Amino acid sequence: MTVTDWVFLAVAAVTLFSAYRVVVSRKIMHAALWLGLTFFGVAGIFLLLGADFLAAAQVLVYVGAVTTIIIFGIMLSTPEELRGPSPEAGSDAASSAAPTRRSFLPLVTAIGFAAVMVALVNRGEWPSPPGSVSTDTPRLLGEALFTRFVIPFEVASVVLLVALVGAIALALKEESGQ
Amino acid sequence: MTLSLSVVLAVSALMFGLGVYGALTQRNAIRVLMCIELVLNSVNINLVAFSRYVGPDQALGQVFTVFVMTVAAAEAAVGLAIILMVARRKAHIDIDQINLLKW
Repeated sequence: MTVTDWVFLAVAAVTLFSAYRVVVSRKIMHAALWLGLTFFGVAGIFLLLGADFLAAAQVLVYVGAVTTIIIFGIMLSTPEELRGPSPEAGSDAASSAAPTRRSFLPLVTAIGFAAVMVALVNRGEWPSPPGSVSTDTPRLLGEALFTRFVIPFEVASVVLLVALVGAIALALKEESGQ
Repeated sequence: MTLSLSVVLAVSALMFGLGVYGALTQRNAIRVLMCIELVLNSVNINLVAFSRYVGPDQALGQVFTVFVMTVAAAEAAVGLAIILMVARRKAHIDIDQINLLKW
């Protein structure tokens, strides 16, 4: 075990724990903040895998934009869950307002998938890591994006533009839209 | 650097499982969206890991990760706009009770 292994295990542990907290946190605001920590952990994993440009993009796009937009969505839409479950709620309301569906099928699906994947990964023959890796991934990425993948790149920008205009159009007030 | 590929793939698989479990069990629409983001991130880890170990001089997996990030950002924006609309009309975002399209 080298230093890289230990650092990777620590980062992976933080990432998985915060991902677990995203799923089980009772207050949705806490879940959103744990999601931000998960994104940071994934950025750390990217760094350890040598993808420094993607790590920066991960911090900018996910931690900076997606987490913020999710927190905006929470604050604009769910005031009662933001404060947590109210203690004076009736028993019938409490049963219908349970935060999750209690069923064993999702558990079986998730655990089954993860177990099968981990078993397969452990049995597989994987290539050993290459010794020397070029460190200028931004140059590699830019050359690939603007030569070989220029059409998908332009399509992706159009998708982004349409999504942003569509989001604004959807979120407009009804009165001003008519 | 001697980090083995199978460890990275195992972490990604566990994170995918967590995201799938959350997306299937949560009833709050925003939480379902967050769990889908978890799933997309675990896929990104897979792509970057394979790009690092299989073809490190081409960075093709990283190119694909850029596209996944783009689509994920678009999905978050449109999804939250839809959730805002639903919350404005129905005063809740419980996906078990949003059944207008149900047969």
